[in-house]
Amino acid sequence: MTLKRTVTVYSLGWIVAITLLHSVLNLGLFSARSGATTGEKYRIGFLPVTCHLTCPVTDFINKQQTGKSIFTPVRFNGWPELKEAFLSGYMPATFILAPMAMALREQGVPIKIVYLGHRDGSAVMVRKDSQIYRMEDLRGKRVAVPNRFSNQRLLIFRALKQAGMTVNDITLVEMPPPDMPAALYSRAVDAVSSGEPFMAQTEMDGYGRVLWLTKDVWPNFISCVLAVNEDMIKNHRETVQELVNGIARSGKWLDQTMDHRMEAAQFVSGPEYYNQNPRLLSFVLSKPPDRVKYTNLTLVRKDFEEIEALGLESGILKGTAHFEDYADPSFVTDENAINPWNWEGKKP
Amino acid sequence: MSAPAVVVRNLWMTFPAKRHGQPIAVLENVNAEVATGEFVCIVGPSGCGKSTLLNIIGGFVRATRGEVMVEGEPVDGPDPRRIFVFQENGVFPWLTVSENIGFGVRGKKEEERRRIVRHYTEMVSLTGFENAYPRELSGGMRQRVEIARALAANPDIIYMDEPFGALDFITRLKMRADLTRIWQSEKKTILFVTHDIEEAVQLADRVVVMSQRPATVKEVIPVGLPRPRDLDSHGYLETRDRIFHSMGMSLRIGENIA
Amino acid sequence: MELGGEKTVNGKSRIVLPLCVGVAVLLVWHIAVRISHSYLTPTPLEVLRGIAELIQKGLLFKYMAASLFRVTCGFMLAVVIGVPAGLLLGWFQLAFQAFNPMLQILRPISPIAWIPLAISWFGISDAAPIFLIFLASVFPIAVSAIAAVQNMQPVYLRAARNFGLSGGELFRQVIFRASLPQIITGIRIALGVAWLVVVAAEMIAVNSGLGYLIIDARNAGKRYDLIVAGMVMIGLIGLVLDLIVRQLEKFDEVRWGYASRE
Repeated sequence: MTLKRTVTVYSLGWIVAITLLHSVLNLGLFSARSGATTGEKYRIGFLPVTCHLTCPVTDFINKQQTGKSIFTPVRFNGWPELKEAFLSGYMPATFILAPMAMALREQGVPIKIVYLGHRDGSAVMVRKDSQIYRMEDLRGKRVAVPNRFSNQRLLIFRALKQAGMTVNDITLVEMPPPDMPAALYSRAVDAVSSGEPFMAQTEMDGYGRVLWLTKDVWPNFISCVLAVNEDMIKNHRETVQELVNGIARSGKWLDQTMDHRMEAAQFVSGPEYYNQNPRLLSFVLSKPPDRVKYTNLTLVRKDFEEIEALGLESGILKGTAHFEDYADPSFVTDENAINPWNWEGKKP
Repeated sequence: MSAPAVVVRNLWMTFPAKRHGQPIAVLENVNAEVATGEFVCIVGPSGCGKSTLLNIIGGFVRATRGEVMVEGEPVDGPDPRRIFVFQENGVFPWLTVSENIGFGVRGKKEEERRRIVRHYTEMVSLTGFENAYPRELSGGMRQRVEIARALAANPDIIYMDEPFGALDFITRLKMRADLTRIWQSEKKTILFVTHDIEEAVQLADRVVVMSQRPATVKEVIPVGLPRPRDLDSHGYLETRDRIFHSMGMSLRIGENIA
Repeated sequence: MELGGEKTVNGKSRIVLPLCVGVAVLLVWHIAVRISHSYLTPTPLEVLRGIAELIQKGLLFKYMAASLFRVTCGFMLAVVIGVPAGLLLGWFQLAFQAFNPMLQILRPISPIAWIPLAISWFGISDAAPIFLIFLASVFPIAVSAIAAVQNMQPVYLRAARNFGLSGGELFRQVIFRASLPQIITGIRIALGVAWLVVVAAEMIAVNSGLGYLIIDARNAGKRYDLIVAGMVMIGLIGLVLDLIVRQLEKFDEVRWGYASRE
């Protein structure tokens, strides 16, 4: 066969074959940009961190109880991609870092925080065999944080202030959370701080030790929040209400009993949600039990103004957006009116 | 006598200056004529500009001054009626021998084309190699392909620019013999550039001797010898010596020229 | 066969020799991991088990199909656009002068840098990684096509014009065919780049593909065995792709353009 004929035949044949194969094996892959809010099954973004646990929990329990989902959870692998997907209109709702949401609002993005994701749930870990026991021992050391807009950075800022130090006394480096355990192990950094379960992983694998948990430095600290596009509130308020209700109920459910948490660790660790080791998730959710909390998630102005102040001080916020601009607390007015899911796990 | 096939009148060629230096004057006031059916050789020292002259006549280069008339018309670019045979790599390497030879007659009907290709393949003694690719052939065979390709297109004139220059001595002799044979049967007008004086005497009816650069026509020496040319004959040696002398070269190797 | 230098290069050695190298690499790898008591680096056996796990979960072929699909689309697009564009730019001097600087500006920009724009233009779909792969591939192809035309032996053009070819016929019969060997070399390079970019291109939140597998394994915790398994699969497929393209070089229409040692 001539070159021309060979190339034409094989190319066409291959294109047809691989397109077919791909469509068949990866059905549902071709997601369009439009249809971001189609009543049911709108997309909501999350990262595989325990801060966002209420997201898969809501989805799973809903599916178990009613056979349908109220949204389509989409897992992202990093903050930048999640942020860009939200900005491009791919999804109208997402879990996101509170300072990041506030900074986006300052830049004119129509984002509204409607609920919290959790309280506490962060930690600073050091090597078991290091001599670091207090903040002062971090002087001159390298500390890894996930992102400029991360709460961990703000937390460290505050902890430094409390210890009478400034950020210039340590070296802050930005690093993706999944890389932090290895970095700590190989002593590339002296301390790491991010959301769970990456911190617990260092503990579980035997080389990490907690320097402090969030609850020790800034009790009830808020970190990740649930945010939606303003248009979604304007045009589909009931959907947003349904979403917040679901998340709130999941939060209550998670904090109701330890059994619920263990149950959650099992189904959330599956490939469609977090794709992580269930033992790790169980560890994070139980040792200690108040490592991360999922209740008391109503938006409180004071919490946010504290973040505004810290953000301004550490240079990530300009101070041009305030609570009314970036938050809409109207979806949950009475915490006590929310009842947890009535679900005890899969019946055998 | 019919009108001359090629007429070169008052031809000057100057290449524009490169980065530093002067413009390069290559040809100066060249005048020459080639009659229809003649075999004319242009000889001259290396680099004198004879290839440039042929390229101008062939229509690939435009002269700075002067005129070239081929078959009564001024030259305005290459033309399939006058095929150029290059020194090397003129054959298309992505085509087989047959496809190359048939290149000039692509437009003809299948039957006719095959006949022509077969005829000229035989003429250059390449039967059996029809489906071979040029990379599989020797240098001499490739030149044969090119000559066959030129002939198959049935041009009025064939220009040959040192076509045997890249071949070894023995092959060159064979190719000259074949070319003479072919020319005698096809009766084309041939304008042949070479630096090899012996080659010129072995092939041409007339020899145009060019000077050093900027080249002009020093002398036109007729070669009135019968073909096949006898390399031992007195006439051959005499003509050869005449050309040597015209170019100011000594017949004693190693002797200094005053 | 050329005497001297290496031993005879026959068919058998073409398979046996690289196999020996591969086995040697695996051995060194395994021993190095064991000796250094490396905590995180997986041994070849662990990687093999990781591959088996992927096959068991039905993920391996799914992911391979996804990555191959995206590379196919992006790469084919790059060929269809890059080859004609390169040929035209190589042939028309004015066009070359006009467009080449822009080409040279765009070329060194890493596909990773394009990710945010890709997401904003194409959203989260196959289109975004396909776009990135297209970007990575189109430049080597265009550049080699341009070089092929510009470095073409002038004698071919002269001979072609001599026989009366011009315009479209000249392009199809001579310019294109004379450039083909170098274009195929550019295609070989571009395919390698396209496949290399797959990991970066799948950093966008697509949820399938070998690149995605690697990134996701990162988030799953200590699954370095899966990460290296993904790397190994990418490498093996890359080898196969290269071998396929090299077959193209054997065709008569282009074989003349490559030096041979025979």
